[in-house]
Amino acid sequence: MALTKHRGVKIKGIVNVIPELTEDNLQLTIINKEERVKLVEHTGIRYRRISSLPVKNLFARGIKEAMELTGWNYDEIDVLICVTQTPELSLPSIACQLHGDLGLKQQTICYDINSGCSGYVYGFHTVASILSSISKDKPRALLCCGDVSTHLLSPEDTSTRPIFSDAISVTAIEYNANDNNITARFNLETMGSGQSAIYTELNAQNNKIMRLNGIDVFAYSVKYVPQNIETLIKSAEIPDEMPNLYVFHQANKLINDAISKKLKLTSDMVPHTLEIYGNTASASIPITLCSRLNEMNNWILLSGFGVGFSVASVLVKVSDFVPHKTIEI
Amino acid sequence: MSLPLHEIETFLDFTSSELSISKNSISLETCFRDIPSWSSLNALIYISRINEETNVLITSGDLSELNSLQDIYGLINERKHGIN
Repeated sequence: MALTKHRGVKIKGIVNVIPELTEDNLQLTIINKEERVKLVEHTGIRYRRISSLPVKNLFARGIKEAMELTGWNYDEIDVLICVTQTPELSLPSIACQLHGDLGLKQQTICYDINSGCSGYVYGFHTVASILSSISKDKPRALLCCGDVSTHLLSPEDTSTRPIFSDAISVTAIEYNANDNNITARFNLETMGSGQSAIYTELNAQNNKIMRLNGIDVFAYSVKYVPQNIETLIKSAEIPDEMPNLYVFHQANKLINDAISKKLKLTSDMVPHTLEIYGNTASASIPITLCSRLNEMNNWILLSGFGVGFSVASVLVKVSDFVPHKTIEI
Repeated sequence: MSLPLHEIETFLDFTSSELSISKNSISLETCFRDIPSWSSLNALIYISRINEETNVLITSGDLSELNSLQDIYGLINERKHGIN
């Protein structure tokens, strides 16, 4: 395990960008009608979003909205991290492309992280670590997370198509060098033995296609996520302020319910957005978090898990109101 | 553990219910892949229900080495003491 703690890091705003185009799993003709109903019941996923735009364009829109939401200026951005596994181009990084497109300052640290369903927490950890290393009182970062996973799907694949959905999220994060309070504690882990649970392969047309082994994703998630979270909470030593909100990556209902049950969580502690947005990879945590951000809260737990096999959880203190918005494009 | 799946009758009742097949149509000798309702979705639901009832986790690697319901029953009993 890698347990880390960070002082003075705060979420200052979240913008989610969701494509308007929607597919309904109850209308999905690649499976029979009886199985469609069963699929929606057990995965919890009714609707999925499809983006015709590349992920970079969704990030650009999210950043523009985030700047308006926070009142930040482009020349105040010290760090831009993009977490995605579906870049349109292998190089240069999306962060560097956006740096050029948005006219960010030369001193901005920009790079991409290749990470999927655990990517929001990994990205948050990266941003927290970089910000605290910058010689400045209040450095600022934008963390862009998300994928256009549907661009990797085979239309006939009954394992992946009913699950994956497109969306992105941009989180504005600020570090206060004068705040000595611990505001984030992470537990980051990797189980590479599970690398075949989710992967891409080339089809006959040389296109990358995502493959999913649902049984192994279930087994790895249920085996490793609860113990990752329990270890984090135990190490945090905050018994009087245990989190009352657990925001999980939105994998599917079977997995998320099994994890909740192992952790003995009640349904009011575990928000979900699976039914309306599906599995939106690294965007699913901030999208789901925003559904409960108006009722704060103190310590909340965020946990991402999936492709890798990778598991990452963070206890983050959210004591002030966090402005947020979700837009459809 | 909720259901005593280590008991043969309970295991067959459970399997019959979860895979939507008459109990008279299956026995421990039945090859689970031959059950008409066996699909990737139903297999996942079945495996998740076994975990819910017994805390036993079964992987795709395990399944590839198993053939009959007897094999699954045996694996549940082998791992029921918390070995995942």
